[in-house]
Amino acid sequence: MRVSSKFGSIAGIIGVSLIVLLIAVALFGPLLGLASPTANNLMARLAPPSFNTTKGLHLFGTDQLGRDVLSRTIHGARVTLTIGATAVLLGGAIGIVIGLVAGYYGRWVDAVLMRIVDVQLSIPLSLLALLVVGTIGPSLQNLIFVLALTSWVQYARVVRGQVLVVREREYIQSAHAIGLGDVRIIFQHILPNVLSAALVIATIELARVIILEAALSFLGLGVQPPSPSWGRMLAEGRSYMSSAPWIAIFPGAAIFITALSVNLTGDWLRDLLDPKVT
Amino acid sequence: MLKVTCGLVGRLMRRIAWATGTMLIAGVALPVQAETLTIALSSSVNTLDPTQAQVVGTDVSVAAHLYSSLVARNADSKLVGVLAEKWYPEGDSTWVFDLKAGVTFADGEPLDASVVKWNIDRIRNPETKSRNRAWFDPVSGVEVVSPTQIKIHTKGAYPTLPDQLSMIFFLSPKWMESHNPANEVYGTGEFKLKEFVAGDRLVLVRNEAYKGAASPFDSVVFKIVPEPAARVAAISTGEADLAFDIPLEEVERLKGGGKTNAGWVASSRSMVVRMNTAKPPFSDNVKLRQAVNYAIDKQAIVDGLLGGLGTVSNCQIMTPAYFGYNADLKPYPYDPEKAKQLIAESGLVSGTQIELQVPMGRYFMASEISQVVAAQLQEVGLDAVIREYDFSSWVQPYSRGEMGAMSLMGQAWPTLDADGQLGLYASQNPTAYFKNADYDAALKAGRATNDPKDRLVHYKQATEIMCREAPVIFLFAQPFTYATSARIEWKARGDDWIRAADVVLK
Repeated sequence: MRVSSKFGSIAGIIGVSLIVLLIAVALFGPLLGLASPTANNLMARLAPPSFNTTKGLHLFGTDQLGRDVLSRTIHGARVTLTIGATAVLLGGAIGIVIGLVAGYYGRWVDAVLMRIVDVQLSIPLSLLALLVVGTIGPSLQNLIFVLALTSWVQYARVVRGQVLVVREREYIQSAHAIGLGDVRIIFQHILPNVLSAALVIATIELARVIILEAALSFLGLGVQPPSPSWGRMLAEGRSYMSSAPWIAIFPGAAIFITALSVNLTGDWLRDLLDPKVT
Repeated sequence: MLKVTCGLVGRLMRRIAWATGTMLIAGVALPVQAETLTIALSSSVNTLDPTQAQVVGTDVSVAAHLYSSLVARNADSKLVGVLAEKWYPEGDSTWVFDLKAGVTFADGEPLDASVVKWNIDRIRNPETKSRNRAWFDPVSGVEVVSPTQIKIHTKGAYPTLPDQLSMIFFLSPKWMESHNPANEVYGTGEFKLKEFVAGDRLVLVRNEAYKGAASPFDSVVFKIVPEPAARVAAISTGEADLAFDIPLEEVERLKGGGKTNAGWVASSRSMVVRMNTAKPPFSDNVKLRQAVNYAIDKQAIVDGLLGGLGTVSNCQIMTPAYFGYNADLKPYPYDPEKAKQLIAESGLVSGTQIELQVPMGRYFMASEISQVVAAQLQEVGLDAVIREYDFSSWVQPYSRGEMGAMSLMGQAWPTLDADGQLGLYASQNPTAYFKNADYDAALKAGRATNDPKDRLVHYKQATEIMCREAPVIFLFAQPFTYATSARIEWKARGDDWIRAADVVLK
């Protein structure tokens, strides 16, 4: 138990420091004075990563339009993390509230909300995203909205399950007994107990949302060019995988590191918040 | 046991050697081994029914192996007779086809003039619901003169009828009484169907009843391989002999391999940026439309992005393969200063956002091309903003006439005739986004006669108007890339037709 919790804290430290690093890159990276992430140079396209400066310094190589992959990866952090974090927070907020309400009130409220969840789950996510973006048109806000729309059900189901357990506990009974209002019981006494589960979902969802954004970009429904996002870069680099793998590898690695760091942090937070472990 | 097997093998070998020897002596050049040609198709075959086939690169090409048409377009983009011996116009409203005698279906039923008439009438019948019916709208009647001669009467001239007939195949009326051509095949082509696994493959084997020149292949397999990387792999491993739409970066590599070959050919598809001349800012603003043509460095796109595989369009949407191609036109030169000057003269309110729509997953390198185009438009001071759409949500507003200010697209017409290709911009067409009375008149005149010389004069005029009025940014003819195994040679053609007859076994 001790060993695992110690290991947990090391992993947690790595996770948190990676997240801090990523946020720092997103905030201050663009100030480093690198090449423009959107300036084409058809004469220098598909240059491999090198320290050679004859064609301009391209540590991560250049992409299919001769743009600096390093610069695009760094600028992409801002776009990707903004989209990912906003979508996850928005989806989480909606999902948690619905899960809380459904689990707490039970009966027909639960039945209605859970059927909505079932309906949502029965529609393939990519089809839903296609439909919505196709109708309201592609833009950054719509993209975040759609990604949130595809993720709220996960929270709602898990949170509802947790609430069903928590609401039977004695302290909730006593909260009822001293005449506290539903809103106060839900948000003050139940919410903290289901938050750790939601947090774990959020860490998984963040990685999924980034990948889904890549898929939407591939269909032209994601971040509109020439703005860089990791998902978009990955989708664009796919057709050059055998001739210029670096176009996809670097944003792919960035997505991997982000997902890893968020997952490590999530695990660590869960252990930290779980009363049973400590 | 081993000895017995050895003996058997030995005897078998001797027999084969003997058989081969006698065949050589007899001068029969029958291949000893069954030769199979495997072709990787980039997209699925949707129907076996030749009256519903419209996509040349898949359905129509497959039908051409199984059925016969009156005429066919060969690799040199010339029409040659298949069932027809010769064909010629009689006046301006009749086409005469002299048929070859002796063509029969497998059970001996002749494919003569009455069968041709039955098929054409069947397609013209609204109840058949043939997707190809529109091609016969100008036809007023089919007349059987003799078993080997048929006359097709048209309302006015129909100069492209023979071209269109290269995509029409003939079914047996007797067989049709009890069979469904969507699932079964009974034709007079070089091959017959052995196996059809929808979405995966078609296996064709030699049709013994076919009397034309024998194909070197005993069987032809069409494999559906939608993923470009998988097509490259299929060629590299020898799984396929012929594949298309190979990524440009792979063409050089496969070319030098020794075990494989690859190349490209200018296709009949012209890439353009359409402008909606019915809506501001491009409506009534020739100067702005010309300005964007000057602003784009077409040659840089071809050289930089396509690695030189492509031909800059010379101010028209036709390639030299088309009838009506105007060799005298010159492309708009790349001249950003002139573009800026024309924009200033055009009276465009500065800061006007111009949407560039990009349908995804349809046109070759659409994303890359549009980003370069947008960047070059920005360099001359236009606020071009890219909007990517998935193809279906782009095509619906487009076909309703609600296209945005600009849209990237590729355009081709299967008959390779100016009438079809330039007709895309005739004002009665809902997706023309262009209205010019002189242009419409020139097209109408080009359609009013079956005389090719006369028609060329009108298309020369039409292409000149289109160049000057610039309803599009003329970009380039899209390259059509292919790769082959070392054992075959393909007579490369850029009109989407795929035929085993174009393949030579080395």
